[in-house]
Amino acid sequence: MKRSHLIVAFVVFVLSLLLPLVVETGYALQILFRIYLFAALGLAWNLVGGYAGQLSLGHAAYFGAGAYGLALFSGKLGVSPWLALLMGVVVALACALLIGGVSFRLRGPYFVLATIAFAEVLRLVAKNLPAVTGGDVGVQVPTLFHGNVNRAFYWAAVMLTALAFATTVAISRARFGYYLMAIREDEDTALSVGIGAARTKLVALLVSSALTALAGALYGSLFLYIVPDQLLSIDVSNEIAIVAMLGGAGTVLGPIVGSVVLESASEIFKNVFKEAHLLIYGVLLVLVVLFLPEGIVGTLTALVRRRAMFGGIKAGAKGVAAD
Amino acid sequence: MDVYAALQAVINGLLTGALYALVGMGLALIFGVMRIVNFAHGAFMMLGMYATYVLFTRSNISPYLLFIVAGVVLFGIGYAIYFALLRPIHGQSDFMQILLTLGIGLIATDGVLLIFGADYHQINIPLLGENFHLGSHISVNAPWVVSFGIAVVLAVALYLFVMRTMIGRAARAIAQNRYAAPLMGINVFRVQAISFAIGIAAAGMAGGLLLPVFYIYPQVGDQFTLKAFVMVVLGGMESIVGAALAGLVLGVVESLTSLYWGNEWALAVDFVIFLLVLSLKPSGIFGSQKA
Amino acid sequence: MALLEIDHVSKRFGGLRAIHDVAFAIEENEIAFIVGPNGAGKTTLFNLITGVFHPDEGNIRFQGHDITHISPNHAARLGIGRTFQLVKPLRNLTVLENVMLGAFLHTSSPSKAAEQAREVLRYLQMEKAMHFTASGLPVAMLKRLEIARALATRPRLILLDEVVSGLSTAEALALAEILKRLPEWGVAAVGGVEHVMQVVMSIAHRVVVLDHGTQIAEGKPQDVVRTPAVIEAYLGTKYKELGL
Repeated sequence: MKRSHLIVAFVVFVLSLLLPLVVETGYALQILFRIYLFAALGLAWNLVGGYAGQLSLGHAAYFGAGAYGLALFSGKLGVSPWLALLMGVVVALACALLIGGVSFRLRGPYFVLATIAFAEVLRLVAKNLPAVTGGDVGVQVPTLFHGNVNRAFYWAAVMLTALAFATTVAISRARFGYYLMAIREDEDTALSVGIGAARTKLVALLVSSALTALAGALYGSLFLYIVPDQLLSIDVSNEIAIVAMLGGAGTVLGPIVGSVVLESASEIFKNVFKEAHLLIYGVLLVLVVLFLPEGIVGTLTALVRRRAMFGGIKAGAKGVAAD
Repeated sequence: MDVYAALQAVINGLLTGALYALVGMGLALIFGVMRIVNFAHGAFMMLGMYATYVLFTRSNISPYLLFIVAGVVLFGIGYAIYFALLRPIHGQSDFMQILLTLGIGLIATDGVLLIFGADYHQINIPLLGENFHLGSHISVNAPWVVSFGIAVVLAVALYLFVMRTMIGRAARAIAQNRYAAPLMGINVFRVQAISFAIGIAAAGMAGGLLLPVFYIYPQVGDQFTLKAFVMVVLGGMESIVGAALAGLVLGVVESLTSLYWGNEWALAVDFVIFLLVLSLKPSGIFGSQKA
Repeated sequence: MALLEIDHVSKRFGGLRAIHDVAFAIEENEIAFIVGPNGAGKTTLFNLITGVFHPDEGNIRFQGHDITHISPNHAARLGIGRTFQLVKPLRNLTVLENVMLGAFLHTSSPSKAAEQAREVLRYLQMEKAMHFTASGLPVAMLKRLEIARALATRPRLILLDEVVSGLSTAEALALAEILKRLPEWGVAAVGGVEHVMQVVMSIAHRVVVLDHGTQIAEGKPQDVVRTPAVIEAYLGTKYKELGL
């Protein structure tokens, strides 16, 4: 990421914070909240799925852990909301240790299946222990902000996205980022140069899960009420993965672009088709795999690079011909 | 401890398990033998269910005959999907395959949702009223017995296909060495397309057989995708027989779990077993290959 | 104390005896070659040394430490580098980035790693390809990349599995000239080869010959070549009887 890019990113960040001066309706702010939230979620997932190449389809586990942590620690133990939020993150980290410890030993599709299975177990446990989690009926979540709630939560989502973005940039420039990419490309090769693959993947997952849990808590807190089938469902996990894949896994901007495109498309689709908005996810997913495997950002970057290379060759050829 | 209740649960479990086995065997062929990670497997079962449902409501012919039509339809769909969508990404990673089939599943599920609506439906056939009695304590609902019988026949047929026919052998050859197979004169794409289509057809037929005894709704297939993978892992990769046995085991385990802990925990128990097997013996209970 | 000691090591895979009672030692700054036809057990031996598999019998010692049961990344950290017979580059990364991954073993700074990587690439005469993506390179370059990546980890011992196979004789000899200088860097090398004997004879201090997993000769190249068992394995019984 060049210096100029980072300046652009900072400007966008500031503009995002100023947006509520122009956009004031609750509905619009909630859509923007969703876009930024899923951008943050996509960035968080990207660390594990994009950079490390581990396709986790069970990130709803951490999303739900954050939300349920906030709800249950404050509701049942009377802890203040922000402390409960922190405790929720700790729960998510514990889940990540367990899930990662088991799943990262598995390769290929078995890893994916294990992540799905863990998230599903969490969902079913939440559904079937009403005394603890409120069961199917759900549980109340305290609000983290007062006053103009829509604006406050929007700002929180922007901050979270900025945090996730900064984390991604820092990682991609450090040795840790290179290690993740090595593991993605060929884990055996990574081992042969001394990379502790298991530990590296786990650290990436811990960071990813913490960010995801924060997002989950924000989501739960905005809507004030959560149920297992909403917070811990496969649909959430899929949406997070699709956001990153659509935009470009393994790129810094990808998940942000992906979220803008997916959430906007989803919103438009919802107004037309109401119930079947998942259809757009399926269609986009198929299109991405078949035609844009590097995602929007990845494909554009490759195109630009190729143009530059060919432009250079053409100019060179012209130079030779002119001689 | 009521022995008869437990016995009843085991028998019910075996009956359900036979249909699970059919779905699982289809995936064992697709994933185990062909290494195609099909996350849409349950969705195809659901399509088979809906196909049978539509035909039944129009014609009033028994689902126990219509399931064959569902099988044929799903064979065609499977073949088309293989050529149109799976073949182009042939060399690519598992990652991409998973995402592609996931997308296909989402399209199928929500497409059906758009067309048929989210309501749960149920059909009624005369056979539902009949029960067989074994002694004075055990009874089985007739449709389950019929579907069990048909499922067993289909399972045997699938096994024979994979083990004895040229195409089945070719599919296994490709799985063992995909570079040498074409050198032996095997038309890899055609064999894979047919094998894939047969695996999908098996799922579709299971759907048709399930129609009389299950609620039908668009998302019904989702749990079956996961259960199918559980069966394939439990049964050991590439083992059609293993997946079938695992299906029966799964049915019984779920049934007993429902009896003692309640329905809600059945699916959770499936996953816990799955995770235990993956962590402790990745080659599966009946398998010998490394995962 | 020898750098690497293979102490009567055996390994089976199911019914197949891949390695049987192999024993030899490599000294510091030595170049050794393990010679044998495909299937003789060279790659298995390398996998045993680097901890990809573990022997059923016997011990392996490196700088006096018992490494019989270590893991691959631990072996790398102890100073054993390796290349793979079927090259395993990091395809979507550039040549420079590939080698940097090796250099990262000793530094956490990407700029220092890049500097060290450039130095290694210069030694292997690959600087011009620095910014090419690995997936676009021909086999000969990929083989050099394997070596570069392993060298960047600053190993005391580097294992080169079939490093000259697939190269023309001229390319192989050119590579051999480079490898010959490894001891100057304080690196001992063990190569596995099938048949490019000119390379072996010109740079090896020591040769070990494997045939179907068993060791049939070990020693200086000139002596090993005259061993009857070796002549029989390679040229057939007729030649052994002729005493050639």
